[in-house]
Amino acid sequence: MKDPYETLGVSKTATAEEIKKAYLRLAKKLHPDLNPGDKRAEEKFKEVASANDFLSDPERRRRYDAGEIDAAGVEKPAHRFYKDYAGASGNSYENEAAYADFADTDSFFADLLRRRTQQGRAVRGTDQLYRLEIDFLEAINGAKREIFLPQGGRLDVSIPAGIEEGQTLRLRGKGAPSPGEGEAGDALIEISIRPHPFFTRDGSDIRLDLPVTVVEAALGAEVKAATPSGFVLLKIPKGSNTGTVLRLKGKGVLRGEKRGDEFVRLQVMLPTQPEPELESFLASWRPANPYDPRRAMEQKS
Amino acid sequence: MIGEQEFLHRVQVDRSTLTVWIEEAWLAPVERDGERVFEEIDLARARLIVDLRQNMGVNDPGVGVILHLLDQLHGLRSAMGELLGTIHAKPAEREP
Repeated sequence: MKDPYETLGVSKTATAEEIKKAYLRLAKKLHPDLNPGDKRAEEKFKEVASANDFLSDPERRRRYDAGEIDAAGVEKPAHRFYKDYAGASGNSYENEAAYADFADTDSFFADLLRRRTQQGRAVRGTDQLYRLEIDFLEAINGAKREIFLPQGGRLDVSIPAGIEEGQTLRLRGKGAPSPGEGEAGDALIEISIRPHPFFTRDGSDIRLDLPVTVVEAALGAEVKAATPSGFVLLKIPKGSNTGTVLRLKGKGVLRGEKRGDEFVRLQVMLPTQPEPELESFLASWRPANPYDPRRAMEQKS
Repeated sequence: MIGEQEFLHRVQVDRSTLTVWIEEAWLAPVERDGERVFEEIDLARARLIVDLRQNMGVNDPGVGVILHLLDQLHGLRSAMGELLGTIHAKPAEREP
């Protein structure tokens, strides 16, 4: 996407109000339904709409201004406009008033008018909406699922890897049949994703809290860590701490050509059973470098 | 075919608003067994009405004017499409 400020023709310092105004001014001019024959207007309208979407999110705008993210982002599912239906034959709303006077004087138009009023409705069938709940790992790795339809029959749905909550898949021609002779509607499948007990997702990255023992953290170790594609050996560096984040490169979510990473956050766990030896050691332990983990907190408050 | 409940949900309007739109002849759903049923075109048209009223600041009389002109525009467009089709079809018809 181009620079959203440029697309809307506003300055970087524009207020939310100014952005909205600029968007509305352009939207009125470019709305596809008010320019049914103009493909360029439709393209421009989509740019303007996504620039407005982008800048209306204060957090996203802040991150864009700070150079943290680029303007590529939220691709919305293709939206059908009224003109897409109105242009099909059998539109019962359209009327002939704008050229009916030609028919009075021209036999060609008179013919045309007669034929058009006789024409049957070749209306497209209805789109049908389904919801499909999938597992966290299915969303990340992709999956094939079947939906059994209430009216009988089934739909094969192939879920692309990296799909996101709320995304809609469109299966062309799998909706309701046309009441006349038109084409069938589409099946729209809205995806919702069940949460995972251990993993969470952050865009194309995966996050995991991994418990480690005091010994593993203090002395370093190799431990098994779960990733969406199975277990890998993770090297815990000597002297790790709760909150230490380790990166497993390329173990995140596949998005287009790029794969995100998995970030493993360590949690140092004390033994759950009493350990008299450890207790007596700690009681007699005099650290070589005494430390106060709360010092930063006390200085700030 | 879309039932009224689903239609209201997908357009995000309430029933009384929908009734006004139908009375104004902005929408013309079919009645079947005493229930209003809608097609995709009605849904898309309703979304255009929402766009005009909520996002583009058009007031209700304005919506009526715009829809009326749009319906004429689409009538013209399809007449023109048919006309072009007829012109291009002519030479082929002459072939033996």
